[in-house]
Amino acid sequence: MNNITKNQLAAMLLITDAFTLFCFMGKMSLITVLGLSVGIVLQFIMAIPVICLGGEKSKWENWFYLVYLIMWGGLLFRMQWNASKIIYIPYENSGGIWGKLLISELIALVCLYISSTGMKSLARSSLIAAAVGAVCLLVAAISAAADMNWKNLTRADSGRSFLDELLTGFVLSGGLGSFAVLLKMTKGHRLKNSIGYFIGKIVLTAVVTVTAVLVAGGIMKVVDFPVITAAQLSQPFASQRIDSLFLIVFAIFAVFSIAVQMTSAAYIIGELFPSFTKYRSSCSLILMIGAAFLLSKVPPYSTAIAIAVIAAFFAVPLIKLICLKLKGEKLC
Amino acid sequence: MNDNNLKNIKIIPDLKKSIEKIKEISGGSSDVLINEFVSGGVHCALLCCEGMVSTAVITELIFEPITNISAKKDSHELFHYIQEMLLLSNDRPEAYDYDTLFRLLNSGFAVLLADKIDKALAFGVQGYASRSIQEPSGEANIMGAHEGFVETIRTNMSLIRRRLKSPALVMELMVKGEKSRTDLCLCYMQDRVPKRLMEKIRKSLDKIELESILSTGYIRPFVESDNFELFSSTGTTERPDVLCSKLIEGRVALLVDGVPFAIVIPRLFCESFQTLDDYSFKPYYATFIRWIKYGAFVISVLLPAVYAAIVMHHPELLNSTLLMLLVESEKQAPLSIITESIGVLLMYEIIREAGIRLPKPVGGAVSIVSGLIIGDAAVSSGLISTPLLTMTALAVISGFAVPELNPAVTILRFAFLAAGGIFGLFGISLLACAVLANICATEDYGFPYTAPLSPFAKSGMEDTAIRSGMKKMQNRGFTVEEYHE
Repeated sequence: MNNITKNQLAAMLLITDAFTLFCFMGKMSLITVLGLSVGIVLQFIMAIPVICLGGEKSKWENWFYLVYLIMWGGLLFRMQWNASKIIYIPYENSGGIWGKLLISELIALVCLYISSTGMKSLARSSLIAAAVGAVCLLVAAISAAADMNWKNLTRADSGRSFLDELLTGFVLSGGLGSFAVLLKMTKGHRLKNSIGYFIGKIVLTAVVTVTAVLVAGGIMKVVDFPVITAAQLSQPFASQRIDSLFLIVFAIFAVFSIAVQMTSAAYIIGELFPSFTKYRSSCSLILMIGAAFLLSKVPPYSTAIAIAVIAAFFAVPLIKLICLKLKGEKLC
Repeated sequence: MNDNNLKNIKIIPDLKKSIEKIKEISGGSSDVLINEFVSGGVHCALLCCEGMVSTAVITELIFEPITNISAKKDSHELFHYIQEMLLLSNDRPEAYDYDTLFRLLNSGFAVLLADKIDKALAFGVQGYASRSIQEPSGEANIMGAHEGFVETIRTNMSLIRRRLKSPALVMELMVKGEKSRTDLCLCYMQDRVPKRLMEKIRKSLDKIELESILSTGYIRPFVESDNFELFSSTGTTERPDVLCSKLIEGRVALLVDGVPFAIVIPRLFCESFQTLDDYSFKPYYATFIRWIKYGAFVISVLLPAVYAAIVMHHPELLNSTLLMLLVESEKQAPLSIITESIGVLLMYEIIREAGIRLPKPVGGAVSIVSGLIIGDAAVSSGLISTPLLTMTALAVISGFAVPELNPAVTILRFAFLAAGGIFGLFGISLLACAVLANICATEDYGFPYTAPLSPFAKSGMEDTAIRSGMKKMQNRGFTVEEYHE
């Protein structure tokens, strides 16, 4: 089953992490940067049970992860829906609910196609998309240099404590559920593969959040989407707009982050129902759209989401690890 | 008569009846020549196909020795004598049924029948007219050899053998096509090719049940994946030197008789940007040219779409001077930018197709009429804006830098133009994601089309991102097996 490489795994997960950061709603400050970064270190420590188990799952675990991935996919749809309020996606009738609906439909269609091509092609294309995205983000970050104000590091206030930010870190790390599922398919040493991903995640989070605070920190009180606003404010030239570049990255990352959840869910459906060979991806998409409607009333950064992430990523593998230890089976 | 039935009909020992049968099977075709004579006291007939054999060779090497044979006891002794004592040609197969007899006859062999024997002797005396070796028309280069494949499979085999004198080079001949009986030649280096790849290709070829094979396009679908692929995972080349380099890398080649192209299996996306000249020039220049080609590919696919997207939806990306210039030009054009762009691209495709299909002198006239008269008139009359025509021309010319990808590029150009025109950069990004997934899903026999980019292989970058020096590459010992997943 070893289908994907460590670089491809990291690319798929980092795209999801980047997308959730782009869609981050609320205020950001230095505390946010610290909380998210420390949270990632904590996540790495908490990943040890998953790494030990290697992703092998029982039937009930598969059911749990299927529900989780569907919910997280739905949440990503909702994040994209919220962000399209501020992201300028121009076309005839782009405004209003029908415009937003069309944007979501188009993203869903492309995700469905990508998912239908299978996990291998998704992993390969994610690696290229992540490389393109990284270059674009680097250009955006360099372009932001002229608009950075170091005083914003102390000026910006998120209004949340360090512990709150730590929990926000878990809310933004819903992709860790995919990590628990995809680790099984990864070639090579599981611990080394995981270290690579978490280092990438900490660098990505630090660069994006610090840039957002430095650029948009002065107006943080009136900002809803700090990362997107920071990109919109970063204009190195008089007339050229870097937010068009950000629009490209946003669209690509939206597609691939949702496609990762959809393909992982389709894979689990295949594990649960081996005879159900066709329409697995379509089934996942329909369920995710349903989940997006269900979650439309849930606050986007609630503790419940953080608990679900911790359960998927840490509690469930830990319980299984303890059970196996009690049975006297060899672990890790 | 059905060709399959012929396999079951054994050669009739009675010469007269056998000749009657041959005439019946061939329908009395005028080009089947039957010369009856007596050799060694036995009634014989020499059959050949007019225009397929060399008259001089058949007269000197077959007729003269055979008619001078002294008396023999019977036809068995005569055939034994001819086979053992006379070396009439290099290639001397035997036929026991009419299917084999006609296959040999139609391949330029002279076939000897004798009375009271149920087999025929054949002599390879092919002498049909064929095109001489010329410079390839579609893969020209500056520093390399100027020889290209021709339509005759045996000549093509010799072109490869001349460049690869290793005994590890294997050439397996086979016949496919119920009616055309086309010779195919499977070429590979037995010490380099992955065994699994050979097995899978043989299985794929076994599935061919075509009536005729008249070009490489007949076979390629059988050795490619069944999934919808925008880009082909098998390649073609008309250069023997290029094919030899692929064989050394552990790939398999398939030659088709009557076609001056060889199929290469598997093919990678990055190879479309490599030419033999890259290895003749200095590495820094070869690297520069390669990146020019990568850029040309992106421009050829995206330039009209990005132009339409920027002008229609993202004018803020332009500086004020450029914006005013475009506004001024587009203001005079009566059609929308997307209609204009699609119209210009369609016109180009029509002109290109007309230029290819028409006789060369008329084709030149088409170029003059289209380029100078239609193009100039369209701009002067204000029907098409000059910037748009410039962008389209740039995109089209850039496509010529990577000719192998041209069919896919043409379709993608239209698709991206529609996406960019309707949804701006957002549409282009979405379509790019779908295309990227399609390219990454392209895989044949376990070799990903996007290697060495994804899955990433650092060693592969030496001949992808850059072109390393020969001294460095000689120690690499690269085979395509490195990319197998």
